[in-house]
Amino acid sequence: MTAEPRTALTDLFREWIPQQRWFGGKGREWAGVTEDGFFLDRGNPVLSVHRVRIEYTDGGRDTYLVPLSWRDQHAEELESALVGAVSNEGRETYAYDAMRDRESTAPWLIHLAQGSSIGPMRFSPADEGHIPEGLPGDIVSTEQSNTSLVYGQEAILKLFRRLEPGLNPDVEIHRALRATDNEHIAPLLGHVEIDDAAGGEPATVAMLQTFVPNASDGWRLATASVRDLYAEGDLHADEVGGDFAADSRRLGAATASVHADMAQVLPTEEAAHDWFATVARQMSERLDAAIEIVPQLAEYAEGLRAVYAAVAESDEQVVRQRVHGDLHLGQVLRTATGWIILDFEGEPARPLVDRRELDTPLRDVAGMLRSFDYAARHLLVEQPEDSQREYRAQEWAARNRAAFCAGYSEASGLDPCGESPLLRAFEADKAVYECVYEARNRPHWLMIPLQSLSRITDRD
Amino acid sequence: MTVPVPDSPAAHSALPPPGSDPEWYKRAVFYEVLVRGFADSNADGVGDLRGMIDKLDYLQWLGVDCLWLPPFFASPLRDGGYDVSDYTAVLPEFGNIEDFHEFLDEAHARGMRVIIDFVMNHTSDQHPWFQASRSDPEGPYGDFYVWADDDTGYADARIIFVDTESSNWTFDPVRKQYFWHRFFSHQPDLNFENPKVREAIIDALRFWLDLGIDGFRLDAVPYLFEEEGTNCENLPRTHEFLKEVRKVVDTNYPDVVLLCEANQWPADVVEYFGENGDECQMAFHFPVMPRLFMAVRREQRFPISEIMAQTPDIPDNCQWGVFLRNHDELTLEMVSDEERDYMWGEYAKDPRMKANIGIRRRLAPLLDNDVNTLELFNALLLSLPGSPVLYYGDEIGMGDNIWLGDRDGVRTPMQWTPDRNGGFSTADPQRMYLPLNADPVYGYQVTNVESQLRNTNSLLQWLRRMIQVRGQHPTFGLGSYAEIGSRNPTVLSFVREFGDDVVLCVNNLSRFPQPVELDLRRFEGYTPIELTGRVEFPQIGVLPYMLTLAGHGFYWFELSKPTEPVVEETEDWASATSSAVADSLLAAGVVSDTEETPTDESGGTR
Ligand SMILES: Nc1ncnc2c1ncn2[C@@H]1O[C@H](COP(=O)(O)OP(=O)(O)O)[C@@H](O)[C@H]1O
Ligand SMILES: [Mg+2]
Repeated sequence: MTAEPRTALTDLFREWIPQQRWFGGKGREWAGVTEDGFFLDRGNPVLSVHRVRIEYTDGGRDTYLVPLSWRDQHAEELESALVGAVSNEGRETYAYDAMRDRESTAPWLIHLAQGSSIGPMRFSPADEGHIPEGLPGDIVSTEQSNTSLVYGQEAILKLFRRLEPGLNPDVEIHRALRATDNEHIAPLLGHVEIDDAAGGEPATVAMLQTFVPNASDGWRLATASVRDLYAEGDLHADEVGGDFAADSRRLGAATASVHADMAQVLPTEEAAHDWFATVARQMSERLDAAIEIVPQLAEYAEGLRAVYAAVAESDEQVVRQRVHGDLHLGQVLRTATGWIILDFEGEPARPLVDRRELDTPLRDVAGMLRSFDYAARHLLVEQPEDSQREYRAQEWAARNRAAFCAGYSEASGLDPCGESPLLRAFEADKAVYECVYEARNRPHWLMIPLQSLSRITDRD
Repeated sequence: MTVPVPDSPAAHSALPPPGSDPEWYKRAVFYEVLVRGFADSNADGVGDLRGMIDKLDYLQWLGVDCLWLPPFFASPLRDGGYDVSDYTAVLPEFGNIEDFHEFLDEAHARGMRVIIDFVMNHTSDQHPWFQASRSDPEGPYGDFYVWADDDTGYADARIIFVDTESSNWTFDPVRKQYFWHRFFSHQPDLNFENPKVREAIIDALRFWLDLGIDGFRLDAVPYLFEEEGTNCENLPRTHEFLKEVRKVVDTNYPDVVLLCEANQWPADVVEYFGENGDECQMAFHFPVMPRLFMAVRREQRFPISEIMAQTPDIPDNCQWGVFLRNHDELTLEMVSDEERDYMWGEYAKDPRMKANIGIRRRLAPLLDNDVNTLELFNALLLSLPGSPVLYYGDEIGMGDNIWLGDRDGVRTPMQWTPDRNGGFSTADPQRMYLPLNADPVYGYQVTNVESQLRNTNSLLQWLRRMIQVRGQHPTFGLGSYAEIGSRNPTVLSFVREFGDDVVLCVNNLSRFPQPVELDLRRFEGYTPIELTGRVEFPQIGVLPYMLTLAGHGFYWFELSKPTEPVVEETEDWASATSSAVADSLLAAGVVSDTEETPTDESGGTR
């Protein structure tokens, strides 16, 4: 690959990438960066795709995918998407973040519809479903580790920014679930992979999925309900108009149905006896590491170890299966007909192999139960202490957790929320993880998982 | 009290010639008014037809297009007149046929139409037909009702008035047989199997049609026929008969509407429109109403979104009737048990507020007399698909009297003035058919037409303005309905579209202020103009359209088309430039050349 003239582009990336929300290496020092790019479309504007390999001084390395659109004149309306200009023989060519340049969004769908291969990139349409070729895509404002484009009201393309070898679980699971016609997922329309230059497994670049129109995510619905409760001062959670329990129940049933279908079309395995001990040990290790970062956790350490120890001694019959891995109220959409579960990627921070491991559905149940706690309490953050509201929050969370579990067990025949030491430990483990996350990102929210841990450890 | 003078001169308000506006009902605002409760002209404490004539100017001023009169026929009045004892006679206390004729002419002269209730399924047990049937089984009326030797037939039919009735059969000691009744035991069902019954009913309909009425609201139609082994509702024979009625109407009485009352799920109700719209032109959309209440209480749009999504398409010449409240209880038959418990808990805290399977309350007290919520509900009523049906008194926010029996609590006299008897009657207050509401908040001293006419900010004046706005946009009656997605679950937004008439309605179902980002890309370049003040809002672009709404606030926007068409860039210019850009990138080594496999002429360079 040509070396010299490329420096211009890598220089731009050095400046630009660290400012992007999807860049996960914030705060790490770069030791070096290389990139290679190829054309995806030579129409107007020109669209190219670049693999940017970053080496950090700590020895780690990441590869990010950056699609760029190019123009020979600066486009005023794309100011915020400007990555920079490269010059050649005195002429400037301007590079833009192609995901924010509406005019360069169509090729993704055109190539998916055609099943093209372009350079190292392979576009695979799903067996069924309509790809709305010809529509432009608009970026979804809630960009996080990925970037999504919505095409009309029909399809949503998720671009996985950080490339990892192997099929992304979001694609893998959605593809497997197509066979089940599960009504609680948004059907897969296609995906894009990129070959590894070194001959390793291809990485997943993008996923195209049916767009669910006119939907609201569970977090907004749940918090609207909590707001209503707080406004009522003297009414209980089951008395206020904004009661959310019926929705929680349906959400429980939807979760159970997706779990059941995943077990049907993806591998399962009876948990071996030592699995419990392994899980318990992993959780203890995470706790040790977390205490280093959040010293307040030490107070609960003893109680937590007891919770984990109960898992190690468990003789529950557990069938391990593929799970969602990062289930919470922000990952579910309420439509006019029911709940849709999104984003089967698992926790994006964990390595892909770990995310594809078999686990138990209780992991997801625990995630959702934690989410109810968050929804109940988030309005208390940075508010003067108010024991009345504190009590209401507790009541709301308990009511909706119970409704979720009831819905789950009605649909599956298994009560996930009985006296399972595993569920309790998973909840604790998740709350420990949340403590670390909050301490790093939003210290004033730390009280939410800490209070939950106090409740979890204090239950006996 | 000074009756408001209608804005438009009378010449313009007379009805168009018959036959020239067959689908008038699709754009009309209906107003349900009880003759008994509106105005008393002869000081006997009971409202009457001549009293109503005096109030027609008011109704015209309000913007009503069509009056719906519940039964005013001769009746022993054990079921609010729905127990008819003579299909062609006016209840004497309301007046006589001449009075009705005059009322009809006066309404027509003001551009208002009149539809009347017609109860086909059953009569009063005082009807001469029933008296003859019970005493002379072999006589001409012997077979006019559904008789049986025991009470075991049609066991699968549910009992509707569960509060008062324990069976659909009642033993008649005179004929010594059981008679069939889906409603009260004093309302025997007519036997529609008997062609003579069908003929007699059509004759009665013709009687009113010949007088010039504009349509019927057909009461309790699902129950006309019975059949063993079925739930005796919505049977094919029932539909057949309704088609027959429609033929009579279409052949001889142009512009007449049939509005059916079938308290069923929309998917079942559509059958009453007929496959080609050859049955009833209108039907009530029952589940919308409880869902509106639920959505506002839950502070989320899904109860409404769900029911709208479940509402099937209807034939072109048909229309839904939508309402917030009417003379019956707020019906909860069309909600699931869980929802019903919820609604009872929320809206009927006192057991007296419950009746049968519903809630006996008026709109204002249901909403705690909250102005913003009242306006939001009315705005929804006027903007959702269907023709709105207002209930007398709700335009001024009248209250209910839950201490009155049966459904009388929502049938108290209209409150015109703060004077004696609320201006309804000059009779002794003791003689009123029902006492006027004297509640400190909802009573006639405070809540009345006169005071609201004086106050430009009153509910009455507001509602009139909204009805006028609605009238300026045919899309409210005729347009398609599409919900506009947004992430905020508390905001219900939808677009009504009829040709170039495009209206966007945005409703905040929450008591708290809310932001909303709407995906209006389909209307890129359009300018929203708010309909009550005609203020222009920023032009719609490709970015989500951001609005903020006050608690329970709403907007109606006209979406005004861009005048200049958006110019498309030409392909030639584009490809010429782009190949230069690509070449220079290749030359600079920024991007390497790629091969595309399999290649396709258009592939990759569109
Ligand atoms: N199929 C879909 N239909 C509608 N909205 C979607 C769909 N998929 C994702 N979204 C919206 O995009 C947001 C992010 O989607 P998600 O799959 O969770 O991506 P991320 O991995 O970036 O979190 C969701 O909260 C949802 O609002
Ligand atoms: Mg009958």
